[in-house]
Amino acid sequence: MAELNCIVVTPEKTALETKAEFVAMPLYDGEVGILPGHSPMIGRLGYGEMRIRAAGQETRYYVDGGFVQVADNVVSILTNRAVLGSSVDAEAARAQLASATKQTAATDEELAIRDRLVIQARTQIRVAERAK
Amino acid sequence: MANARALDKRRKSVRNIRKITRTMELIATARFKKAMDRATAATAYTRRITQLVSDLASSGLEVRHPLMEPREETKSALLLVLTGNRGLCGGYNGGVIRQAIPRYKELQESVANVQLEVSGKRGLTALNFRGIEPNESFMNFDDQPRFAEVEVIANRYLDEYAAGRLDRVEVAYTRFISIGKQEAIVETLLPLGGIEGADIAGDAKDASSGESMYEFLPSAESILEEVVPTSFKVKLFKCFLDAAVSEQIARMVAMKAATENAGDMIKQLSMTYNRARQSQITGEIMEIIGGVEALKN
Repeated sequence: MAELNCIVVTPEKTALETKAEFVAMPLYDGEVGILPGHSPMIGRLGYGEMRIRAAGQETRYYVDGGFVQVADNVVSILTNRAVLGSSVDAEAARAQLASATKQTAATDEELAIRDRLVIQARTQIRVAERAK
Repeated sequence: MANARALDKRRKSVRNIRKITRTMELIATARFKKAMDRATAATAYTRRITQLVSDLASSGLEVRHPLMEPREETKSALLLVLTGNRGLCGGYNGGVIRQAIPRYKELQESVANVQLEVSGKRGLTALNFRGIEPNESFMNFDDQPRFAEVEVIANRYLDEYAAGRLDRVEVAYTRFISIGKQEAIVETLLPLGGIEGADIAGDAKDASSGESMYEFLPSAESILEEVVPTSFKVKLFKCFLDAAVSEQIARMVAMKAATENAGDMIKQLSMTYNRARQSQITGEIMEIIGGVEALKN
């Protein structure tokens, strides 16, 4: 069976380059799963958990927005941050959540920023807890 | 002829300085390698973003975004100056400051509201010395700038720009061209002059009749909306990386020159010292002979 080539790139470095059987990642409005032979796609990523299954082993990452490009069985993930599930800092995320929920937002932009912070924090906590 | 002992003392101190500069050169070399590796690793992201933009453009989408359109009237501008936290790196900090200050003056003349932000202790002291008070200063960037830290600054600029409180962002930094050449320049980051990849695809677009093989989720426009701010962030990050690499190179070169100069100086001092010692000995012998001669008579 054909394999996926999964490349995760952050602005600082290429975080991961691996073969995979299946990759699932959060898009802006829900999860997308990619198997070999997926049609070419460019998508906008959300915040959440990315799962990479290679040789029966599943690895979980937290991805922080960005883009995904799928073509010719190559999955390129461009994200600001890709952290291994087990090394997500749940404490920091909880602090972010607490401060974000306390924030008052008057305008639409501020509201959007607050929502983003809350979602970021919640998904990080979820990913961290699942990795335990 | 100078005192031999004083010369020896001086030679010793120069030798110590040479040891220090030599070590600094080695440290700078190691740091340069690290910074260079980081900068090369970062190009992977840039390359992929470029690829993404050209794919977007080839889908028949016109690459347009509020961030890319110049404002009709520039009411407020911002100049960010990237210097090092430490000195002893030759003309590195001076070069950036020499670019930044005339540009700042120029902006002040044409734009009503000019803000100045500076990164690096050296730049801050240089500006303070000239009586210029920057609005904001950062000290947290060393030889390995982190994207998360740069992103905070980038987000602030983007928000201000979107809100209309800022019409122009320029960065004065040292661009890394090659190991042998770095250049202090002022670059305009906002409005974005254009995204790499967009132009190339513009030509290809005619050929491919605007059909793309990609499926866009949610839509090409929405992705573009996200790509443009990202590419600004990456551009700013690259400025920081370039500045970090250039600083290490400048320090390496400066310290190498200092080490060599110290070596030359030691050679010269040794020569003078030997001559002084010789003449001292000759003088003493002359005195002894003179004494013996005097006793004979």
